Amino acid sequence: MATTTGGGTNTVITDASRGQRLRRLQALQILVLLAVTMTVFGIARPDTFLTVFNIRGIVQNTSIYAVLGVGMTFVIITGGIDLSIGSVLVFSGVVAAKTMDAMGGQGWGTALAGAAVACCCGLGWGLFNGFMIAKAKVPALVVTLGTLSAALGFAQIITKGLDLRSAPQVLVSKVGFGNVVWQIPTLSVIAAVVVVVGIVLLHRTRFGLYTYAVGSNAEAGRRVGLDVDLHLIKVYALAGLLAGFAGILNLAFFQSTTIGGQSNTPLNVIAGVAIGGTSLFGGVGSVFGTVVGLFIPIVLQNGFVQTNVQPFWQQVVVGAVLIAVVYVDQKRRTAAQRGKSPRFSFLKGRTR
Amino acid sequence: MTALLEARGLCKEYGQVQALAGADFEVRAGEVVALIGDNGAGKSTLVRALSGSEPPDSGTIRFNGEPVEISSPTVAQALGIETVFQDLALAPHLDPVQNMFLGREMMRPGVLGRLGFMDVTRMRERSRRAFDDLGATVGDLGGPVGSMSGGQRQGIAVARAAAWASKVIFLDEPTAALGVVQTAHVLDLIRRVSAGGIGVVFISHSMPHVMEVSDRIQVMRRGRRVATFRTSETTMEELVGAMTGAFQQEQGQQQGEA
Amino acid sequence: MNRKIVFRAAVASLLLTVTAACGSGSSGSSSSASGKAYKIAFIQGVSGDAFYITMQCGVQAEAKAEGVTVTTQGPQKFDPTLQTPILQSVIASKPDAILIAPTDVSSMQQPIAQAKANGIKVVLVDTTVSDPSVAVSAIASDNSGGGKAAFDAVKKLAPQGGKVLVVGVQPGISTTDARDKGFADAAKADPAFTYLGVQYSQNDPAKAASIVSAALQKDPDIVGIFASNLFSAEGTATGVRQAGKQNKVKIIGFDAGPDQVRALKDGTVQALIAQQPATIGSDGIQQAVKALKGESTTASIKTGFTIVTKANLNSAAGKAAVYKAGC
Repeated sequence: MATTTGGGTNTVITDASRGQRLRRLQALQILVLLAVTMTVFGIARPDTFLTVFNIRGIVQNTSIYAVLGVGMTFVIITGGIDLSIGSVLVFSGVVAAKTMDAMGGQGWGTALAGAAVACCCGLGWGLFNGFMIAKAKVPALVVTLGTLSAALGFAQIITKGLDLRSAPQVLVSKVGFGNVVWQIPTLSVIAAVVVVVGIVLLHRTRFGLYTYAVGSNAEAGRRVGLDVDLHLIKVYALAGLLAGFAGILNLAFFQSTTIGGQSNTPLNVIAGVAIGGTSLFGGVGSVFGTVVGLFIPIVLQNGFVQTNVQPFWQQVVVGAVLIAVVYVDQKRRTAAQRGKSPRFSFLKGRTR
Repeated sequence: MTALLEARGLCKEYGQVQALAGADFEVRAGEVVALIGDNGAGKSTLVRALSGSEPPDSGTIRFNGEPVEISSPTVAQALGIETVFQDLALAPHLDPVQNMFLGREMMRPGVLGRLGFMDVTRMRERSRRAFDDLGATVGDLGGPVGSMSGGQRQGIAVARAAAWASKVIFLDEPTAALGVVQTAHVLDLIRRVSAGGIGVVFISHSMPHVMEVSDRIQVMRRGRRVATFRTSETTMEELVGAMTGAFQQEQGQQQGEA
Repeated sequence: MNRKIVFRAAVASLLLTVTAACGSGSSGSSSSASGKAYKIAFIQGVSGDAFYITMQCGVQAEAKAEGVTVTTQGPQKFDPTLQTPILQSVIASKPDAILIAPTDVSSMQQPIAQAKANGIKVVLVDTTVSDPSVAVSAIASDNSGGGKAAFDAVKKLAPQGGKVLVVGVQPGISTTDARDKGFADAAKADPAFTYLGVQYSQNDPAKAASIVSAALQKDPDIVGIFASNLFSAEGTATGVRQAGKQNKVKIIGFDAGPDQVRALKDGTVQALIAQQPATIGSDGIQQAVKALKGESTTASIKTGFTIVTKANLNSAAGKAAVYKAGC
């Protein structure tokens, strides 16, 4: 036993980097799919698809989803789900618009106050979700289905169902439609910052590690002394916070609180997260994958419009791609990993 | 030499089932104590009670002679008590290093550490040393634990416990799922750990393993300790007799039984 | 091997993409001799809706006559968050002109301005934006005229006069707001009628039903209700039935899609105010082509209405007024 210590150390070093390379490769594969898709459309519509204007549009349209996707990735890695982000976005946007309206003014002061209010609203809903899921042990699917309905309801009560359109000028012209430099949209730069922070948080910090640990084996976490419940609350709070922040970006981009317009948002974001290789069973996933995963449906839609595919076909293909990509991913995962049997942990109550 | 960890009269009920009915126990520094008994005798419950994951309903626990209340795994860890459960309690998607340090991460110095950044390099080095020290064969320090063999996972779990335990390690059936070579490996691990002055307690159904590695053997039956033997002074027949109730050493404690 | 699977999946999905692209193709292409064949894109408010399909029919027929190419796109829901990316994709594909039914007055303003900035002529059809000057022309039903037409229908069905109510969709939609106002103005102007105001159903039949039940509790002598879309009309009919006031309360619906016509046939509503989407579409193409040729355009065009009742439903005029499910 244990006689080959010296030799073992050497293999350990090389093998460690192999494991990491494998994970990067998984993210790269989705990236390749995106690149291939873009190439195909680029060939089909060489004069219009790969233009600065079009790429800018695609990036801009992905930005708000990307902000939401960061939070959703954390939630899904814990084995949970958050259906409420669309409604929380609307609610936060509504309260922010009301606040900015009351403050008056078209300047940065008003806009920043609005952003702060939106973030607080989102954080509040997220904390509520997290508390109900972690402490009251209500399944995440049920809790967030409830807040999906409730947050939208409150938004409609506040506005009497009438979309608010009072975004300060700077918010619309500088954030919603402005460029940082050249043709780089401010909105997308903000989203990119959120994404980078999300990547660092998930892969480099203890918070990220605990997120994986909770999704991988919550009981193991508890045994080594992790406060699993508290961590879940934090993760849902993060998702809520980002939904609130997306609320102010949404207001800047659409100049409207889009009360009726966000019902598909959570599902679109979840689809992006899934395409991006994050497992709905928890324990696996990356923010980078999510961003690529969010791009794929948007690029497909853009390309289909340009190649003049009938609108209904677009939905069919996006759905088919979602299933195909997740199927392949699942196949690879089961091949690569024996052990934990898949289960829809978010469908069950989190019982000890 | 006084016992390092000592329990007297532990009781634990699950509804109608009396899992522990006044169990006693002790382990000294540097010795290997085997805990044996039939299914349902209360071995695992005793380990859970002493490791803080399911505190007992009543009874006293002493650590270094001082009464303590081990109310959670964190308290046990603070005392230097580590446990390897039957299900190993590893996170299958995390790599060996992450599992090794889960809940006890080494942070980067300064502001970065306070922001939650971990010192991955240092943790990897420490893990490698821990695995090497115990001769645990861990193929891929960066790969998910879930993709490794049962023996490798067992090695990681034991190495983790050994790395953090300064006083006592509990091992719940560490050899149950292993092949011959891997079993020999784990038994070897147990000896190495105890040689470092740590009290090792292990539960096993395998008499040969128990005879091979332990210094003392405690037999449990119906939620109580019914006998304690020096391994060098006992026989397989005597142990089986104690487990089945044919032989009773600690008569005094049987009186409560109807 | 893993890479192979992913690669195969990628290829499969792309093949699907390409076949889908080939399968549907472009519609309404034509090669008339009248000079340059302009490329025009038509973006509906929502795809698969009879109103916009009928408009598309008008667009295609007129495009054929003018010798221009038309492609049609539309979001799954009447929703600016879905329409904006489609508009941006269309702009990127560089058509000569865009006909668009904006889904929100403010949200669509900037994206449409972007189209103009890219040198594309924009024509607004049906709905509009807060500053329609970005477009060369805005063509829509005279919605306040539609409201007035609805009141005329009430007057015809309940000549004795009495209390009238409006069940609207939700505030903030330029078209329905104008209809409601047109009805209100006409009702207030007529001394024989008392206008009870507008209640919003939020596009929910159940809510419309409870609104109407409550209104009939308070004012049992209501003679006419103008329900400004289908769901409102269905809910209104339920509310009226609950109160046992069928035949006493006349319900006027708006639009003449297949569902509305069925509602008229089975007596849920007593009259329909039909818009003329085909005319809006063909006028839109005319204006776009004029703008492209550098001719002067009409900034605002209002199209009319047809009142459809059971009596004229099967006449030639009635048949023409009903919306189509396909061209």
